[in-house]
Amino acid sequence: MNRVIQGRLLKLAAVFLFLQTLIITLAPAVRLRTWEVDYRWSQWLALLAWGLFAVLVHLFISSRLPDVDPYLFPAAALLSGWGILTVWRLDAGFGARQALWLLVVMIVFVFGLGLPTTLEFLRKYKYLLLSGGLLLTALTLIFGTNPAGYGPRLWLGCCGVYFQPSEPLKLLLVAYLAAYLADKLPVKLSAFPLIYPTLLVSGIAILLLLFQRDLGTASIFVALYTVIIYLATGRRRTILISAVILIFMGFAGYYLVDIIRLRLDSWSNPWSDPVGDSYQIIQSILAIANGGLEGRGPGLGSPALVPVAISDFIFAALAEETGLIGTVGLIAIFGMILIRGLRAALFAPDMFRRLLAGGVTAYFGIQALLIIGGNLRLLPLTGVTLPFLSYGGSSLLTSFIGVLILMLISNHLEEEPAPLPKPQPYFALGIFLSLGLFTAALANGWWAVVRGPDLLTRPDNPRRMIEDSYVPRGILFDRTNAPINTTEGETGSYTRVYKYPDLAAVVGYNHPIYSQSGLEASLDEYLRGLRGNPSTIIWWNHLLYGMAPEGLDVRLSLDLSLQSRADEMMLGHRGAVILLNAQTGEIYVMSSHPTFNPSHLNEIGARLNKDPNKPLINRAVQGLYPIGAMIEPFEQALYGNKTLTEDELQTVYETFGFKRAPLLRIQAAGPVTDSENNLHISPLQAALASAALSNHGSAPAPRIAMAVNTPNEGWVVLPALGTPFEALQAPAADGTAQALRVSGQNYWAHLGYAESEESPVTWFITGTLPNWQASPLVVVVALEENNAPLAQRIGQELLVDALSP
Amino acid sequence: MTATIVLILRLLLAIALYAFLGWALWTLLQEFKQQGDKLAVQKKPAITLYIQIDRGMENVRRFLQPEVMIGRDPNCDLAMIDEALSAHHARLTHHHGQWWLEDLNSTNGTFLNREKLNTAAVVITGDQFKCGNTVFGIQVEDSDGLSPTNAS
Repeated sequence: MNRVIQGRLLKLAAVFLFLQTLIITLAPAVRLRTWEVDYRWSQWLALLAWGLFAVLVHLFISSRLPDVDPYLFPAAALLSGWGILTVWRLDAGFGARQALWLLVVMIVFVFGLGLPTTLEFLRKYKYLLLSGGLLLTALTLIFGTNPAGYGPRLWLGCCGVYFQPSEPLKLLLVAYLAAYLADKLPVKLSAFPLIYPTLLVSGIAILLLLFQRDLGTASIFVALYTVIIYLATGRRRTILISAVILIFMGFAGYYLVDIIRLRLDSWSNPWSDPVGDSYQIIQSILAIANGGLEGRGPGLGSPALVPVAISDFIFAALAEETGLIGTVGLIAIFGMILIRGLRAALFAPDMFRRLLAGGVTAYFGIQALLIIGGNLRLLPLTGVTLPFLSYGGSSLLTSFIGVLILMLISNHLEEEPAPLPKPQPYFALGIFLSLGLFTAALANGWWAVVRGPDLLTRPDNPRRMIEDSYVPRGILFDRTNAPINTTEGETGSYTRVYKYPDLAAVVGYNHPIYSQSGLEASLDEYLRGLRGNPSTIIWWNHLLYGMAPEGLDVRLSLDLSLQSRADEMMLGHRGAVILLNAQTGEIYVMSSHPTFNPSHLNEIGARLNKDPNKPLINRAVQGLYPIGAMIEPFEQALYGNKTLTEDELQTVYETFGFKRAPLLRIQAAGPVTDSENNLHISPLQAALASAALSNHGSAPAPRIAMAVNTPNEGWVVLPALGTPFEALQAPAADGTAQALRVSGQNYWAHLGYAESEESPVTWFITGTLPNWQASPLVVVVALEENNAPLAQRIGQELLVDALSP
Repeated sequence: MTATIVLILRLLLAIALYAFLGWALWTLLQEFKQQGDKLAVQKKPAITLYIQIDRGMENVRRFLQPEVMIGRDPNCDLAMIDEALSAHHARLTHHHGQWWLEDLNSTNGTFLNREKLNTAAVVITGDQFKCGNTVFGIQVEDSDGLSPTNAS
């Protein structure tokens, strides 16, 4: 019967791994959305190695040890196969090494199962084995290396073969404690003389690890020691004492050891430093969030974005690609191993084997919880491996030797179990580990389903930029449907192309390193296809590709032919120009100089931020200039020709909206008052106030994004964000405009000069007269220099150009 | 198209994972049920006690349950009226394939084959033990319910 159960479970595991291998093979075709791709074949070797391993061990077990627990081996085998495929998918080189390790495990397994005295050997030579393990661990203090070339030096070995002695040391400690306590327990009943030799030995081991700064393994040792003493004596005090010691160690470590403080800080408050110390944990959570409920599919996520995804963060990689559904299954399989391990302990025929089984089960449970909890930010991060799944030969071998021990212990069911005077510790251990796994599943659900959608919109989520190269981003058109920013290339290599680079400060850019700016940032949801598309399409694309659907095109109010006139004239000068429809608020021209070419961001991006000319700033809406003499027409409109009091001046500011930032789809700067109590406003504010003079006293709400092209309803109008306001009575506005009329022309104009700490400012505002029959227009020019002729020329030529059909 | 096929494969992948877990759970439940059934039908070998009341007079009691409590308390499986007995005096239990006799800290002690009993001891057919003033003879049956043949 056992043989049948084990065989059937292994077949199901094989189906699971086969499907996973197949999906990884097909993954490139899904990513590039075509059948003509380079498929990934190499990981079939991993499946082959796994199949060999599983079949041979299964045959061996069923012929030699038919009474062995039939659940332990299939569960361990499934997890290890899953781990190897994931490691292979992340890095084929490491995957191949892990597959070779699996074959080593196979040999050890068959030997260990074949020798009937394996457990006796452990018991007999407990001191020798433990001293050997301690010695090897101590040797890492002197000869230790790290295969990666950096980081803690916990390995022994050279020339490509490395071994981490602290991994098997965990099992050796468990075996020693079980053997010692089983020998001594019936004789000595008082607690202290019984345990002080074990305290000494475990203390040495823990000190060694602390010297090595292998904090994760050290805490596992403390926990394992506590659990075994508790299982043997049944005294709850041991747990209390150990908890107190761990908390004390944590506190002492926090104030004395830098790395502990760093780990605890980045755990308790990761969002404060997402690119520094907390980078790993944030990326881990982002990967889990991207996995969501159903996962992106094997080979289809981006788990390589998490540092050390193959070992410390393999759980995050699994969560991203198989989702909550996969990780809940994974956690359940761990639960299965733990329950079968505790069952083997309860039914063990003597005290040694019972304690050994309990200890090995605790080892699996505690280590898995520690690293899964670390990946999920339930616990501070410790660099331990996830048993069976993480990359690492020592870890894989140790995990399977643990399973081997449990299987050997479970093979004595025909003997009656030894009497169990205190069963509570075993139940307590079972409940504790199950609750831990349950909490991990809940936390996984929290990040993946509840918090996931919000987290994925974080700008430090690198998946957004990966998505940009696989999904075409919407095009930004001018009002005549000429493209400004567009996307070129094909799936996997889409890039943003800037057809009209002089608009960079206004329209902005979308870049993998420098993120987004301008309208590219504020219209991102439309351009990315997350708004305006039917929600079923968004959902379906997310399910299939883990990406947004094709982006939607947006039409702007800008007119490229007028814009280029303004840019030509502004070339070489600093300042801003706005041409605005005074009635509708549509912005035809928005020019900010100096500007930059976003096509060359890779080379110039780092310099732009420090450039004293501030080319990144959109001077038309974010540049703030002192009003100076530009205020005169607005004062006259309200009060006529007289010297204003301070209160009256404030009334002018309020009336023409100089005291509040306009609402536009570009972040507009609010007005500021400088040290000499002069108000600084943006050219856009000046343009809206001027519009009131040309439009019978009413200032429009500014608009730059006009419409979005949705698949179902065609072009849909994007409404203005702000509201128009009545600044003046029509006669007062019309009168002021007429008074400013340029003789012989059909427009009014005003030149104003202002002085600021940085540079002089020349303002020129002009607009159509109230009796103009077509759309009323205004132009505002702000130059950061004392250059009245240029300001005048730009304003008048632009207005005349715009007025002539 | 590719993505739809892979989506179906992903669905099958999840099904395979849960089939593994589900099948393991199902067989565990089956095993659990079987063990329950087995325990329910499993018979412990009966024990027969020959209780010597007066010279030569014997009272014979046969027990089928795995635990027999002896004492003065009327709730005991074998309740006796004997001032020298404690309320819960001694206990016979069957485990590890044997019947065990155990003294429950009684005032006057339990004597197995005239020796005072300190820890639980295995009893076999032909043993005698004394609780209070009462002497009990023991006959243990095999698990198939037959008395072992008398060798003498």
